[in-house]
Amino acid sequence: MSQATMPDFSSSVKLKYVKLGYQYLVNHFLSLLLIPIMAIIAVELLRMGPEDILNVWNSLHFDIVQVLCSSFLVIFISTVYFMSKPRTVYLVDYSCYKPPVTCRVPFATFMEHSRLILKDSPKSVEFQMRILERSGLGEETCLPPAIHYIPPTPTMDEARSEAQMVIFTAMDDLFKKTGLLPKDIDILIVNCSLFSPTPSLSAMVINKYKLRSNIKSFNLSGMGCSAGLISVDLARDLLQVHPNSNAVIVSTEIITPNYYKGNERAMLLPNCLFRMGSAAILMSNRRSDRWRAKYKLCHLVRTHRGADDKSFYCVYEQEDREGKIGINLSKDLMAIAGEALKANITTIGPLVLPASEQLLFLLSLIGRKIFNLKWKPYIPDFKLAFEHFCIHAGGRAVIDELQKNLQLSGEHVEASRMTLHRFGNTSSSSLWYELCYIESKGRMRRGDRVWQIAFGSGFKCNSAVWKCNRTIKTPKDGPWSDCIDRYPVFIPEVVKL
Amino acid sequence: MFAKEKTVMEENRVRLICKRTVVSTKPVEQGRLYRFSVFDHVMEPNHIRFVYYYQSSKTREPGEITKKLRESLAYTLNCYPIVTGRLVKETDGTEENRWKVKSNDAGVRMIEARATGTVEEWRRSVNREEELKLVHWEDMYHLPYYWSTFYVQVTEFESGGLAIGLSCTHLLADPVCAMMFIRTWADLTLTRNMMTPPIFHSLPPRRFSSHKLSNNQLLSHYIKYCSLTAPPLNITEDHMVTITLLFPDPMVQSGENEAGLTAFEILSGLFCVCVSRAKGKRNELTDMSLCLDVRKLLRLDQSYFGNCMVYHKVHYSKPVKAIDRLLLLSYVVQEIHNVTKGLLDYHAVMDLVEWLGSNNNNPISNGSDLVCTNLENMGNPRPMMFEEDLMLSHLSCYVEGPVAGGGQVIVLPSSSGDGPMSRVVMVSLPQREMVKVLEDELLQSFSPVLLWRLQNKKINKD
Repeated sequence: MSQATMPDFSSSVKLKYVKLGYQYLVNHFLSLLLIPIMAIIAVELLRMGPEDILNVWNSLHFDIVQVLCSSFLVIFISTVYFMSKPRTVYLVDYSCYKPPVTCRVPFATFMEHSRLILKDSPKSVEFQMRILERSGLGEETCLPPAIHYIPPTPTMDEARSEAQMVIFTAMDDLFKKTGLLPKDIDILIVNCSLFSPTPSLSAMVINKYKLRSNIKSFNLSGMGCSAGLISVDLARDLLQVHPNSNAVIVSTEIITPNYYKGNERAMLLPNCLFRMGSAAILMSNRRSDRWRAKYKLCHLVRTHRGADDKSFYCVYEQEDREGKIGINLSKDLMAIAGEALKANITTIGPLVLPASEQLLFLLSLIGRKIFNLKWKPYIPDFKLAFEHFCIHAGGRAVIDELQKNLQLSGEHVEASRMTLHRFGNTSSSSLWYELCYIESKGRMRRGDRVWQIAFGSGFKCNSAVWKCNRTIKTPKDGPWSDCIDRYPVFIPEVVKL
Repeated sequence: MFAKEKTVMEENRVRLICKRTVVSTKPVEQGRLYRFSVFDHVMEPNHIRFVYYYQSSKTREPGEITKKLRESLAYTLNCYPIVTGRLVKETDGTEENRWKVKSNDAGVRMIEARATGTVEEWRRSVNREEELKLVHWEDMYHLPYYWSTFYVQVTEFESGGLAIGLSCTHLLADPVCAMMFIRTWADLTLTRNMMTPPIFHSLPPRRFSSHKLSNNQLLSHYIKYCSLTAPPLNITEDHMVTITLLFPDPMVQSGENEAGLTAFEILSGLFCVCVSRAKGKRNELTDMSLCLDVRKLLRLDQSYFGNCMVYHKVHYSKPVKAIDRLLLLSYVVQEIHNVTKGLLDYHAVMDLVEWLGSNNNNPISNGSDLVCTNLENMGNPRPMMFEEDLMLSHLSCYVEGPVAGGGQVIVLPSSSGDGPMSRVVMVSLPQREMVKVLEDELLQSFSPVLLWRLQNKKINKD
């Protein structure tokens, strides 16, 4: 028995070294090429005596005009290069909202309320219980106060007060952390998919903090759980146009008005998974923020599959048979998410993958398409491109699916799973809670690259690549500060309720 | 000081704002099952309701104090996993189908309400039915797993003051530990520190070798009354009314010189004599049971959470001649004193515990007896304050169910302003008897102050 396993083990070890050698060779090809050239030049120089070097130098005939023209050319080319380079956009800091402990909803309370409210449909209550058991959520997730009432009172006033609570608390925290003065905000972007009052939430923020009258404010609604990265993309584009500015992005989802009161099963899922949360982010293109910024934005890729009907209808808000509005999640959500991810990877791969992986992918592509060889499609190893992954905590199934597709280890998806456990699905802000988890665990070092992937209705898959600018000390306050020592926890497949 | 008398046909002065569930701030260890003691099982069909009235000297925003209390309640519940759990009936081989509590972290129901006027005006003009609007209660649903065993109601009075109502099933708690719950909650709100956290454990086993008492009156009382099923008919016909009386100094008024008597003993004796005459009994005294806390006897701390009060009937050893009422009072007080100091001892209680554990499955009923409950020491050592400026002005207590008997006398501590020996007594009797009791000159000789009015009737007030 051990004889059979030994060759496997030694062959897998050999394979690992072969892979490592290949990667090192291809990724550092240019520097590897440069070393022999430099060696040859050095040997040549050493062979020639000092007089020979001086002779070579004098024979170059440096003329004043030539010198001026060539230096002018160099200056011209470098100016054009620097002017046309896109401005670097930095993420100075961000803060995530920590809900008060009095908003906590344990499973038993959630089920009891469901049972008391849906008195006439015990089957729907059973269904919700099964979802909750397998959801990967913990006992500390929070719902807004209006949903705690029996029966819930999702009025507009309550929705506004939830919005004020989550947004203003996150923003106050951001101001404190960064020392930003409200009057210095140049661009404000608020994204909240399902609650869009008049005046908008961004107007509410401007009113509360007395922001400037020439502020560029935007309010994105209806764009689903990936709206956070869409806001980052918008901020980046605006920061290219406006020099020396900063942008504040607020990502949230207001739960109060969207509690589904009917009993259609496919529409009850969001009730079980969505929880209260928000994040406020400060981005800047100022050179002075270069030293204190936490991250630099490297790439942002947006993929929209809305042209395909099946993708378009898979997360659809509609009225059920009784006229109650809810969000219908179709059964092939996972398959559609997988396809959207593939489309996104195809675009982002060439931007981030090292040359070794791209070469392998190219070879496998050529082999399959041109020579029609029966090879399996090569999935590039993204672990070489990134140190950390933040996968939108949409649900346990999404994280499992992505872990399988990208061949990630448990530690890579730990941030996503633990965020789902502690905070539930907080929609667009969940990526920021995950990033905060990684920082709170002290794993974020200078130069680390982070990949944030978000999915949203439509069907969209957006990803952002950040590079850590400075090693981040474990934050003393923040949503994870009181519980980070308990994590990671083991989350069973099914929690017995 | 006169407000014109308000009639009972008032519109609804209490307005419900919302009902919600308050959970503890930390998740509980899942799946733990708590068993009840024999004292708990025997009290199952009853429930308790308390109303605490506070007057405030500071004006507040409406809803501000409710929010603060809700948060501190969430912190208090961290120490009470049994209160936030739910009842389940599980057979586990050894025990038959009896209730247990599964601590599943479901929380307690909290109701928020507003009332018009001030606390003083309210107290002057309400009766039992209206007062019960300040303390919400729901009978068990047909699905007990979703039924909260505790209900807390916070009612803010629009012109100042606060009423906190607590109701719970008697299966989990007796009046002593319900009052300790409020005390813990008040301490946490005021000082952010929990000074008397509850203790949960089963009743301690017998300390010395067991020897059955030959004449255990406590046990015989339980044996007889646990097999009573329906309450006698005349109780359900008569309308029960409740009034509250303040006795400034019952010890002095009674003229009793014997040391060791407590105000409870004197007041229970007084009511026994007055109710007997109100019932028209000439040469006999009414049946009376005393409800006494036996935590000290069993060497348990006052913060032991669970039922630990027993009912002991008072036996009159000599035949009674109703000539001199003061002598009669003295005799009754002596008999009560014999029970509290003599008959109720450790061995009697342990015999009862053993009997309840092995032979009994029925809850206890007090028939049509007058039940006198002793809660006079619950005001020590410090008053239950939630905030610096909130003064506890009054406390009401109701016990409903078969143990309520034919009438109740609950002796409560009085607010500190009235003197250390003063007591507040809540008396619940059928209406006809209550009228006669209040007119009784022996009662009047104790100079009680009528804190509430009887509904629809004007009574001479001292």
